[in-house]
Amino acid sequence: MRGTLIYTGQRLVLIAVTAVVVSSIVFIGIHIQAGTSMLSDRPADPVRLAQLLHQYNLDLPWPQQYWIWLTHAVRGDMGVSLTAGRGEPLTPVLLREARVSVTLGFFAILFTVGVGVGLGTLAAIRQNTWVDYVASTAAVITYSIPNFVWAFLLIILTVSGFYSWTNGTIYENIGWGTPEQIPVPALALGLPYAAIVARLTRASMLEVIRQDYVRTAWAKGLRGRVVMVRHALRNALIPVVTVLGPLATAIITGSVVIEYLFGIPGLGKEFVESILSRDYNITVAVFTAYALLIGFANLLVDLTYPILDPRIRY
Amino acid sequence: MEDLHTEFFTSGGTVTAVDGVSFEVRRGETLGVVGESGCGKSVTAMSILRLVSEPGKITSGSIKYDGKDVLQLSADELVDYRGNDVGMIFQDPMSSLNPVLKVGFQVEEAMRAHRRFSPKEARDRVVPLLKQVRIPDAEARARDYPHQFSGGMRQRAMIAMALANNPGLVIADEPTTALDVTVQAQIIELLRDLNEEMHTAIMLITHNMAVVASLCTRVIVMYAGQIVEEGPVEQIFENPQHPYTWSLLRSIPRVDEHEHERLRSIEGIAPDLLRPPAGCRFHPRCPFRVEQCYTDPPELELVGPDQEARCWVKMDRAYKEMGAADLFDVSPGAGSGYYPT
Amino acid sequence: MATATASPGAIVDHEWDMPEQVSLWQDSWRRLRRNKLALVGLVIVTLALLSAVISPFWTPYETWRNALGETYASPSMAHPLGLDSLGRDILSRLLSGATVAITVGVGASALASAFGIVLGLIAGFYRGKVDAVISTFINTWYGVPDLLVAMTLVVLLGRGVLNLVIAIAITGWLGMARLVRGQTLSLREREFNEAARASGTRNFSIIFKHILPNALGPIIVQATYLVPAAIIFEAFLSLLGLGVPPPTPSWGDMASEGYKSLQFAPHVVLAPSIAISLTVLAFNWLGDGLRDAIDPRMRR
Repeated sequence: MRGTLIYTGQRLVLIAVTAVVVSSIVFIGIHIQAGTSMLSDRPADPVRLAQLLHQYNLDLPWPQQYWIWLTHAVRGDMGVSLTAGRGEPLTPVLLREARVSVTLGFFAILFTVGVGVGLGTLAAIRQNTWVDYVASTAAVITYSIPNFVWAFLLIILTVSGFYSWTNGTIYENIGWGTPEQIPVPALALGLPYAAIVARLTRASMLEVIRQDYVRTAWAKGLRGRVVMVRHALRNALIPVVTVLGPLATAIITGSVVIEYLFGIPGLGKEFVESILSRDYNITVAVFTAYALLIGFANLLVDLTYPILDPRIRY
Repeated sequence: MEDLHTEFFTSGGTVTAVDGVSFEVRRGETLGVVGESGCGKSVTAMSILRLVSEPGKITSGSIKYDGKDVLQLSADELVDYRGNDVGMIFQDPMSSLNPVLKVGFQVEEAMRAHRRFSPKEARDRVVPLLKQVRIPDAEARARDYPHQFSGGMRQRAMIAMALANNPGLVIADEPTTALDVTVQAQIIELLRDLNEEMHTAIMLITHNMAVVASLCTRVIVMYAGQIVEEGPVEQIFENPQHPYTWSLLRSIPRVDEHEHERLRSIEGIAPDLLRPPAGCRFHPRCPFRVEQCYTDPPELELVGPDQEARCWVKMDRAYKEMGAADLFDVSPGAGSGYYPT
Repeated sequence: MATATASPGAIVDHEWDMPEQVSLWQDSWRRLRRNKLALVGLVIVTLALLSAVISPFWTPYETWRNALGETYASPSMAHPLGLDSLGRDILSRLLSGATVAITVGVGASALASAFGIVLGLIAGFYRGKVDAVISTFINTWYGVPDLLVAMTLVVLLGRGVLNLVIAIAITGWLGMARLVRGQTLSLREREFNEAARASGTRNFSIIFKHILPNALGPIIVQATYLVPAAIIFEAFLSLLGLGVPPPTPSWGDMASEGYKSLQFAPHVVLAPSIAISLTVLAFNWLGDGLRDAIDPRMRR
């Protein structure tokens, strides 16, 4: 237990350091490039301009600007939006959007792991039957289709008429706010990765099934389901969990596109808009938020390792 | 087991790993099955539990346990039979134990699978079982994982697992091969004691004659998928009738031998079961072969009280006519002097 | 058939007729040829390549010419894929989009691979502090969202094919570096001892010539997989409005536009979507085929 706590502590420090490094690089990079042109709406009056610049600290040398930003950020204040007319404090906005993004990501991962492991196991058990071949080919095709194409296909499917025979769980309006609006974007996000997980699970299961301890389990007189799940799958999942970390990262990254397409008010959409509208304060803030999110997600995955494989102890 | 045939259907052809093997194991008996790698002894054992792995299949013959026809068992009955009527111990205990489950749980699982004991009873039996196989500090050890055990202890745990349901027969497939010599002796002793205490029949599969000598009362010698000799251990050791058995016994290095004598091994390599030799399968390597051995496959014949061998020549004749007692060169044909052109 | 030439007192020369030595490459190539999916993939990739190369010179209609008919026209004989929102021929734009896709895909893969290979070799070969530094660097950036980095870079550097390639490659090299580092670490043990014994201190670059060729198999496979990843990446960026600037057609850009008319004119968005998916699929099949062909465990 102590080892785990120490490990967690180390990882948290690492996450913090990464966040600082990333945010600083982004901040400095942007400021070097964009400098004082960061205000999206520049008044012609020089006096007014100077006032605004001063208000946003843009007239200071950028190392100093970064220091101010950092000291504020650590205390939870991510600054203010630079867009004229908004000027709102960012932290509450970010938290709200983070919740949205995390919800979306959560369901996507749930789908990915659930369906992926399920189908992969099935394909492994029925190796070399038509189920296996069909599933394997379907898997490759599925992850070759990018998530946005899946989004298009799903929208076409649900919007143009199939709606009636799916019990109303599929919606007609694209957006966010009701529970029934979750499945389609989550599905679009998760499908390609589910296929990857399925493939991996299948390969892993095939290896595990040949192991001696599975043979022992049969010899003990255990039933098929027990052998497959308790003995085979439990071991087969270990390499799958390994890939879950980068997978979570990919899903979080992919959510940017999906949120944008579906108009989901999450961090991704915020990021895109901030880039396009040159509101770089937001850009830096969201970037940092993402770095933290990914760090935590990976940490969570790594912490599940000892549960699955008792040979690994921190 | 009667006239069992187990074949492997590979892309290169059909391999008959078990070719007409028949024997029986009596209650409480210890039977040894000896032979070199690839002779079919492991496959025979797996066949008893119907655990033959792809692409193998039991193609003909019958196996009966206590009156039950094993090969006709339904899926549910089979699950009942395994681990309950017949238990099995495998060769490499590290890979044969599930690394992510506690050892105590794996033993408990063996009992829970069969409903002979209630869940509580099963759990309570774990520690006594571990103690019975002489695992020190059994209570704490039950909560450990396999990688925390030493090799010998793991094997003991496997034995505990196999015995958990008081099976009538325990098959031990090379239980000591993966262990150190000192530990080997302990395991064999343990098996012997268990056999005495619990009257569980043990079928010991090994390529090591010495192990057979210390544990078994009867022995079967297999070669190329067939039984070539069987009988009581003492008899076989004293008076082996089949040249293969004779060679095996000669090849055991002994402390009282002279240092400069070469290790006497059997020349040649194991036959290719895809295309087994014509006639007697051992003839390409047999020092005492005669013309008949090349053409006619011998059947099992009674050669002594309760002892059978599959040979045309038999060692009695080899001693009398071929001077086998003093033979030093045991290359094929050296005894009989028969070298066909 | 051995011919021996001998001059008195000299060393006899023999021309040995060696049995046909099957090198790793020949064997792999033969196995690759037998993999049907990989071959299909190869065909599609070739088609894409051809489109990419030929389209700058010729397309059925000019890619920029609009008002060729009714906007959002459905597929017809004259326009097999229909017309888009400005009345442009979709088929022509699709063929032209291959240029961007292939350029960015292969370019980013090549750049990322080059960088990754070099760093991986250095880290794996010199080990110690050098490796620690490089590995920490890799592990830190592994957790950074690549899309966001690329987006930020494009905004700062401006849009364009070259910037796209850089932006994608700047995070793409991490995987290759890890792979090569691993390969180097294990190969190093094998080759190093032999070479060191053979001729004293050999020039390290020669050792690179020993290690690198042996690691080449997995490297090629990884590089092949990097291409479709880069293509998807470019599509992501285009969808968000950060891809190649108009009027150059790119598949991602076409999809982005077509999205607006998804409900009533799906063909506009489906054409580039299918093109992207098919190309990615082709590269994946090819990559899988290569990976299986090179895998020594499958050698008979």
